[in-house]
Amino acid sequence: MSENGQAGKPAKTRDIRKVAVIGAGVMGAGIAAQVANAGIETLLLDIVPEGADDRSAIAKGAIAKLEKAEPAAFMAKRNARLVVPGNIEDDLEKLAACDWIIEAVVERLDVKQALYARIDAARAPGTPVSSNTSTIPLGDLTRGLPDGFRRDFLITHFFNPPRYMRLLEVVAGPETDPASLARVSAFADLKLGKTVVPCKDTPGFIANRLGTYWLQAAVIEALDLGLSVEEADAVMGRPFGFPKTGVFGLLDLVGLDLMPHVQGSLKRALPADDPFHAVLRDVPLIEEMIRTGYTGRKGKGGFYRLNRADGGKVKEAIDLSSGAYRTEEKAALPEGAEKDLAALIGAPVPMGRYAWRVLGRTLAYAARLVPEAADDIVAIDEAMRLGYNWKWGPFELIDRIGAAALIARLKQDGADIPPLLALAESQPFYRVADGTRQYLGVDGVYRDIVRPEGVLLLADIKLKTAPVLKNGSAALWDIGDGVLCLEFTSKGNSLDDGIIGLLGKALKLVKEKHKALVIYNEGTNFSVGANLGLALFACNIAAFGEVEKLVSTGQKVYQDLKYAPFPVVAAPAGMALGGGCELLLHSSAVQAHAESYIGLVECGVGLIPGWGGCKEMLTRWQAEPSMPKGPMPAPSKVFETVSVATVSKSAAEAKDLLFLRAGDGITMNRDRLLADAKARALAMVEAYAPPKPVDLTLPGPSGKTAMVMAAEGFHRRGVATKHDLVVADALATVLSGGKADHIEPVTEAQILELERESFMRLIRTHATLARIEHTLETGRPLRN
Amino acid sequence: MQVYQPPLRDMRFVLHELHGSDTLKDMKGLSEITPDLIDAVLEEAAKLVTEVLAPLNASGDTEGCTYENGVVRTPKGFKDAYRTYVEGGWNGIACDPEWGGQGLPASVTKLIEEMMCSANLAFGLYPGLTHGAYVALSHHAPQELKARFLPKMVEGTWSGTMCLTEPHCGTDLGLLRTRAEPQPDGSYAITGNKIFISAGEHDLTENIVHLVLARLPDAPKGIKGISLFLVPKFLPGPDGRPGMRNGVMCTGIEHKMGIHGSSTCQMSFDGATGWLVGEPHKGMRAMFSMMNSERLSVGTQGLGVGEAAYQSAVAYARERLQGRALSGAKHPDLPADPIIVHPDVRRTLMTMRAYNEGCRALAGWVSRNLDLMERSEDPEERRTAEDFTALMTPIVKALFTDLGFLNASLGMQVYGGHGYIRDHGMEQYVRDARIAMIYEGTNGIQALDLVGRKLPAHTGRYLRAFFHPVLDFIDAHLDHEVVGPLVGPLGKAFGALQLATGFIAEKGLRDPDEAGAAATEYLRLFGVVALGYMWARMAKVAAEKRVEPGADTAFYDAKIATARFYMDRLLPEAAALWGAIKAGKSSMMALDPAQF
Repeated sequence: MSENGQAGKPAKTRDIRKVAVIGAGVMGAGIAAQVANAGIETLLLDIVPEGADDRSAIAKGAIAKLEKAEPAAFMAKRNARLVVPGNIEDDLEKLAACDWIIEAVVERLDVKQALYARIDAARAPGTPVSSNTSTIPLGDLTRGLPDGFRRDFLITHFFNPPRYMRLLEVVAGPETDPASLARVSAFADLKLGKTVVPCKDTPGFIANRLGTYWLQAAVIEALDLGLSVEEADAVMGRPFGFPKTGVFGLLDLVGLDLMPHVQGSLKRALPADDPFHAVLRDVPLIEEMIRTGYTGRKGKGGFYRLNRADGGKVKEAIDLSSGAYRTEEKAALPEGAEKDLAALIGAPVPMGRYAWRVLGRTLAYAARLVPEAADDIVAIDEAMRLGYNWKWGPFELIDRIGAAALIARLKQDGADIPPLLALAESQPFYRVADGTRQYLGVDGVYRDIVRPEGVLLLADIKLKTAPVLKNGSAALWDIGDGVLCLEFTSKGNSLDDGIIGLLGKALKLVKEKHKALVIYNEGTNFSVGANLGLALFACNIAAFGEVEKLVSTGQKVYQDLKYAPFPVVAAPAGMALGGGCELLLHSSAVQAHAESYIGLVECGVGLIPGWGGCKEMLTRWQAEPSMPKGPMPAPSKVFETVSVATVSKSAAEAKDLLFLRAGDGITMNRDRLLADAKARALAMVEAYAPPKPVDLTLPGPSGKTAMVMAAEGFHRRGVATKHDLVVADALATVLSGGKADHIEPVTEAQILELERESFMRLIRTHATLARIEHTLETGRPLRN
Repeated sequence: MQVYQPPLRDMRFVLHELHGSDTLKDMKGLSEITPDLIDAVLEEAAKLVTEVLAPLNASGDTEGCTYENGVVRTPKGFKDAYRTYVEGGWNGIACDPEWGGQGLPASVTKLIEEMMCSANLAFGLYPGLTHGAYVALSHHAPQELKARFLPKMVEGTWSGTMCLTEPHCGTDLGLLRTRAEPQPDGSYAITGNKIFISAGEHDLTENIVHLVLARLPDAPKGIKGISLFLVPKFLPGPDGRPGMRNGVMCTGIEHKMGIHGSSTCQMSFDGATGWLVGEPHKGMRAMFSMMNSERLSVGTQGLGVGEAAYQSAVAYARERLQGRALSGAKHPDLPADPIIVHPDVRRTLMTMRAYNEGCRALAGWVSRNLDLMERSEDPEERRTAEDFTALMTPIVKALFTDLGFLNASLGMQVYGGHGYIRDHGMEQYVRDARIAMIYEGTNGIQALDLVGRKLPAHTGRYLRAFFHPVLDFIDAHLDHEVVGPLVGPLGKAFGALQLATGFIAEKGLRDPDEAGAAATEYLRLFGVVALGYMWARMAKVAAEKRVEPGADTAFYDAKIATARFYMDRLLPEAAALWGAIKAGKSSMMALDPAQF
């Protein structure tokens, strides 16, 4: 087991210790950064620019760009040092020391092939080489190259941005050595956190082929039906689980100029009878937009733009027929179709016809792709979920709409019915048999969906067992080997009395009958913090006693968690904010997904951490060996972090902020998080002893004054608002230990009482209530 | 006999002593408004209602309105009374000076409204409707329409109506059918039938300005496709005077249980010329600013009738000699004791009094917020006032009209058989008061508005404007010598209201029928707690004032005693209401429609 405590790791990945990426464009650089995020040294090479003084200027420039990328490409700033810049003239021999070579140069066969010959000469024999091509077939790439190269060659197609997009399409040729394939796949899975989807060597592979078809169909049907971009996006977005931007908003986001490029290559590569050609059409409006620099968000604007003329901020949308911008108008879906896909497709209005014309042909096209582009429907669905952020893959969508209805309507339109779709006329694509999810194969036989070793999903466990305990906000599951798993089920996994209550019960139950507790869920976010809506409503009806009870109950249960006689491992992914962060702080250990965004954000809504967050952060910073001695440094440090609601941009950064301990584990692949957390918990069981309470030495009123003065400085400079000062004062009161002077040690109970008092004082203020309301209604902070 | 004298002493108490009228002058446009000026205005108004309006109440009821060939005649004396009213400048007291009004604050004008409702409810409806139309137009009409119509309406020479209801749609205006066809000159041709139009046709004014809800040709279905139009009876000529007759006709009037002096018309629009008020398809928004103002006014109607019934009942209870006091004769010199000696008669009178004075105090609090939301210089104060008014509007409407009807009925009870026959006018109060529970949104709809819209708005923010001051008051007065014993029960009732609010917010979110099942009891619970809070505050003021030199101790002692009666005998209803609410909908919804 590595320092990060990953379970079930196959041995073959160990030998990739150094990676090379050739081509320092957006994709190549992004891939290099993600390899660095895995703690692996990466050589980043590009050509020598003509007449340059610095022969590695391109790679160096790319690294500099990565360091400023938004969203961040590196999980920790120091990771940039793991990317070593170079050029293909002077540094090619360094490839001999690399265990995987990734080519991400311009999409030209001649350039790539010429490079491959040089790579082959430089690499150590048996080193896997892969291309990040999105359009060129593997057969073309390796044509004419030596057998040894062909054995080690494959396509690894990343999606942009490589850190955040979980899809990796992998294509192996008939000659590719299964060992090379396995080696690269395992590394991508375990170290880069990618979901590897095996694709066949067909143009555009899976996601771009189907995704481009869908986008193009959505554009031309909107034009043909005379829909506005808002109407089209209202249909082709949220209702079907597509990104809420809709298609035109999505094109703005990725850049309009990318479309013709991908389309062109698909047009050239796909056989003449492929339905793809039917949706291809020159769209003069889009050509004109690209020509004049209206390429989307990165350009002067796209189908939408923010018009700042005359100092205003007007959201505008383009008129598809005239090409002129006009004020954006929200489009409403046909009545009754908001939540009913079949009703939307069947609605006898332009938006309904649009839904059908785009969806009907897109889903039929998806059905043609098996077995042509992938062996099974699972690969197609996975690719669209992870590569295009569809909530449901196309076959899951067909199950939701009903294949029979789809077939009937396609027949009515005189369209061909793909054989795979016909197979599903009387049976779903997915079913659950004996507690296992199964998919329909092209032979009409259902097969189990088999998870890779080391992947444990609550979603699968739920099919097999009933919860041990359950209420409206949380559930407790038995995940085997004496470990229970507490899952939040509330909206946004926000913490309420239901969750706190069930956590309390879980602690008792584990103590009686089990070995360890894991706190984990499969939502987008681990927890966005306490349920502010409930708190706000309670405050509005002046039920302050109820609010205070929730604060003190939460404090008590978190203390019980901290001092439980068994290990509690929290396993966050996504956001762990406020009370969610405080839960991590009280756990025996944390196994975090690399993409964990952790912070105590209470000050943003005019509150302070009230469930022991101040206490735990003080304890951690006081114990931090690198800190100067004396009572002041720890409170100052916590004040600095908490008063401005700092949130880590990764699990790695959370360690720097001490939201995670140095020894806490990080899992790169989201699907492996639960298994890793469980393994960590089990490993702790035998020798487990709960922590001993630590008294704190805090500076008292004089320390408070120092912190408040710092806040006042911010206020004078216009960075902090009037209410920020009120909040800062309350926070400083807690962190300084109240009236304590630094000779008397302060107990945990005393700090908890200070937290509770300050919290209750703040939540009675109108400015705090206004902040909470504003955040709930807009998702943004109110600067009052 | 109908007996009514405007309760000026109590009005002054509410306005000056309870709600601090001396601070009105700090609000925008009210620098001239001093307590002395207010008292003078109230006294003049009292003269008007006692001398001009009250004498026509019974006769107007007996005679009623008459309809003939599209013409409606109001009862004898109404026309002259209306002229006196308009000439006295009363019609524009609450309107903006920009349009010729006097710009008096709602804190004052709402009291005058109450007096008019007590003296002659049917008469009061005519200027009341004009004022509602004024509110809608002044907020939503284009400047040109305002300039053409508002001065006349403020003056009172033209009156207003609101035309919403159609034969097939009342509460559910989404079903509305009246059409509006755009005309080349920018006007609209309105066609359709409206019913239950108060003051739709009458002989008091030279012109009538109808505000009509109708659909444009491209209107979306339902409530989001309704627009508001101004349709005058006579199209104003170039000189601004009524000119050509417009295509709007009264085709009949309703025969009603009460408010006989008010004409309730069936109206037919046949290509009538109208102008758009506000934006297309946004008519409900414009209509709601009128409706909110009207809903508060209807609440005032309940209070007005309740007060008149109370005064009449007190007069009778003092003079009607029947039987002897249970504890022994109080007036051995007389053939029998006056019935006011009997506990049950006392119970009746105290109940009426406690509700009336409580409602007047609450109305004063709402009026003050109406003034603040229009005139405060502090945006936060304006918003809190808006929140509070939005929250309290359905409560004032439904609670005051329920209590107004109850009080009219209790007043009749004091009279016994003499209340049931026509001669004493007590049954008129019962008949007149009954409509207020129905129109401007039935009280059931008010309750739904409270639980469905007002309660969840901005995660309960409107509630804050009520709950926070009440909790603060309770916390601050637990040990108060006079108020302490009152805030004990108030605190309990307030706790029940908090629990009920949380219960509905939680259950109603999951099942709207649960919120619907709790709505009426919840509104009542909210209302009785609000009155309880008003009584506690009034007791506090009375306790402070009664020890001042030369104080009217009889008045203040009566206040404190009535406050105690409210807490002892009326507020306990709160516990029962909470019990009913938490039982949920199950037994209420158990029967299949066929089982009824």
